[in-house]
Amino acid sequence: MDLRTPTTEKTSFPAFDIVSTYRTILASDPDLTMPVAAIEALVEAIANSTVNTVAETLDLLTYHTEILKSSIPNPISLSAGTDLFQRYLVTTLNRPASLNLGPEDDFRAIRNHLLSNGRLFVERAKASREKIASFGKHFIRDGATVLTNGGSRVVGALLRRAADSSTMRFKVIYVTSPEDCSDAQGGNKIVADLRAHNVPVATIPDSAVAYSLGKVDMVIVGAEGVVENGGIISRLGTYQMGLLAKSKGKPFYVVAESHKFVRLYPLSQFDLPIDQKVLDFKVAEDVKKPNAEKLTEDEGVADLNTFTTTHLRAADAVDFTPPDLISGIITESGVLTPSAVSEELIKIWF
Amino acid sequence: MSQGTVIVAPGLSSFLKSLKTTPVEPSVEHFISLLKRRQIRNSRPCAIATTALLLRVVGEFKGRDAAKLVKRIREVGRQLTSAQPREVVVGNIVRRVLGLVREVVDENIDGETNATSDPGHPAPAQHDSLHRPLLTSSISQYSPLKHAAAEPMDASFQSEATSDSGDISKRPPLLASHTSYAASAGTGLTQSLFGIFSQPETPSASNTPTGQQSPIGKGMLTSLNLERLTDFSKSNTNFDLKAEVMDGIRELQDELEQSDDLIAANALDHIHSNEIILTHTASTSVQKFLLAAARKRKFTVVHAETFPHDHTATHGILLTGKKRENSTVDEADWKPLIAAGIEVYVIPDSHVYAIMSRVNKVILATHTVLANGGLVAAAGAHMIAKAAKNHQVPVVVVSGVYKLSPVYPFDLDELIEYGDASSVVPYEDGDFVDKVDVEAPLFDYVPADLVDLYITNLGGHAPSFLYRIVADHYRPEDITL
Repeated sequence: MDLRTPTTEKTSFPAFDIVSTYRTILASDPDLTMPVAAIEALVEAIANSTVNTVAETLDLLTYHTEILKSSIPNPISLSAGTDLFQRYLVTTLNRPASLNLGPEDDFRAIRNHLLSNGRLFVERAKASREKIASFGKHFIRDGATVLTNGGSRVVGALLRRAADSSTMRFKVIYVTSPEDCSDAQGGNKIVADLRAHNVPVATIPDSAVAYSLGKVDMVIVGAEGVVENGGIISRLGTYQMGLLAKSKGKPFYVVAESHKFVRLYPLSQFDLPIDQKVLDFKVAEDVKKPNAEKLTEDEGVADLNTFTTTHLRAADAVDFTPPDLISGIITESGVLTPSAVSEELIKIWF
Repeated sequence: MSQGTVIVAPGLSSFLKSLKTTPVEPSVEHFISLLKRRQIRNSRPCAIATTALLLRVVGEFKGRDAAKLVKRIREVGRQLTSAQPREVVVGNIVRRVLGLVREVVDENIDGETNATSDPGHPAPAQHDSLHRPLLTSSISQYSPLKHAAAEPMDASFQSEATSDSGDISKRPPLLASHTSYAASAGTGLTQSLFGIFSQPETPSASNTPTGQQSPIGKGMLTSLNLERLTDFSKSNTNFDLKAEVMDGIRELQDELEQSDDLIAANALDHIHSNEIILTHTASTSVQKFLLAAARKRKFTVVHAETFPHDHTATHGILLTGKKRENSTVDEADWKPLIAAGIEVYVIPDSHVYAIMSRVNKVILATHTVLANGGLVAAAGAHMIAKAAKNHQVPVVVVSGVYKLSPVYPFDLDELIEYGDASSVVPYEDGDFVDKVDVEAPLFDYVPADLVDLYITNLGGHAPSFLYRIVADHYRPEDITL
């Protein structure tokens, strides 16, 4: 895949362009997560098509999903959304009896439902963030110190909610992202926001996590994807926070909407289905070479694709935090133990 | 206390006696004062008293409005839990009863919505995650646990169960949901992960997800729920809400009564010949568990005496098989372990670590089990569990499901109760008391990773599985009372 900006993409496809739709949707709303944007783009794709059978719809979806997945360097989070949507369609379309409709027009009805409620999905997804916040705020107790990282909007919402309740005084230690990282901005925003809410925030680099851990009561992180065994895929550095928290006996909580649950079963860091160059071994000669070829390797950044930079750089890499390091996953359907994740997924897929 | 009967020694038995003659309001007051004075304490007495009281509350409830009934129970529940927040079991029972009401309503409403729902709407009611929200919904449908509970009890224990044990399977929907797997596959669509796709319940609110947005932590009925409940009571007149709920509560009472026997039925799977078992404090559940094993096998029990607050009870249970004044248990059934031919060693708590290397299994009693798999148990439990971990000795916790709480251990200090320090250092010792702070915590919090297995009346579970039992027994909307 070569490098394109969203504008050139729009013109290059006469038919429906899923990728640019996806990017426009993402860019239009900073509060949107990747899976939900992907769902919206797929709904849009169905709207713009003339399909009227179940098989056609599913084919169309598979086709667009493939394009979408291959167009961005880190499709883990995105695929949670597309898979969920696909699965939802399959279950609903294959079970017309479960809908209280006439036998012949169920397909049209479900299609109309999808099309008319595209906005609603987004609203729901955002609402679930608020719901998580209302669950999660109980975890933060008066006088606690919370360690967090990344630009996760759910974590931001949770901390803000806790800050809003006037009786609580808590402190936040924020592990900053490197400046060139795509969620550095989001992180800065959360920090500024919390400070505006009178929450004392200390920002530390990755390297100071172990040092600060003695002052920390709990760790709360966001996640890009929650995998089948209950582990999470999240910004590089989360794994080491988990390891350190475990070794110090501090509770390590993950906040994630349940539409981020993804069917992956990574066993180690290097099982992730993405190509990231975190370990880049070099000898002196390699360093001298111009890095022109690197441009062709990846494109797009992990999350908001409004930037002009297009590499999945080391700063934007993700790592896998295994379930045994996680004390609880706070979702909109309650606080789950890592082992509950597989059950949620199994309920959908089997 | 305004009841007519004379109270000899206030406690569970006097409360239950007075409940028969006193109207509801004074009974609630009475129970609250007993809770506050700690005249009813510990999980089982609290659970028994709460169910008995709620049975009265429901019995005297006027009208057939389910929403009002829920509100009423909630109101009483709130009073009770605030009277003694550390007796978590009280809240558990209240939530169970609330769940009962909702279940009765749901069961009766299901047939109706199917008939009356608007044909123009693609997503019907049972398709909606709002309808029976979140985890509870589909899990409870094909939970193997439900079936386990429905299984007839072990014959040897059936005879001992004081109540008519046929009752347990009389009313299927509650304890023993016989939903076949095929049927549950249909409702399997009600999945929380699909939550964002579901159709809003009211057709008018097309673009606002009413139910989803309302924060669950608010602790009030959502407008949606209220609406549904009132709708329901209007539309349906020919079924007896009160009677069904009361039946359910009676079933709950049976469960309380039988849970120890059901737990004990697992004993032979876990205690083998010539093992050395370590336990602590005085617990009826553990006592029955060990006795059940003692009937067939010879093993050795090492009992940590739990000084200072529980050692008299511990000595009592070792000597006579009974805690001091436990009126609720069947007297004839009680004999100490030594009478069953079991060798028992009593050790002070400080010896636990030293002796742990020779122990095969640790069996702990508990005060409350929390949703994350951790537990609150008599002080000393954490030390025992830690020592066991260090020696790789399996730790088994026996607990009735009624002790399992949907509460998360957000703040450990809130859960731990401190007791009378004079049992450590008597107050007469003025010099000492003046100069030294004496503390006597009654409970310990034991984190989930120190526990290997929970044995409840439903069977054995890993600590990481408890979330599901919680989801099976409590409705998410009731978690905050």
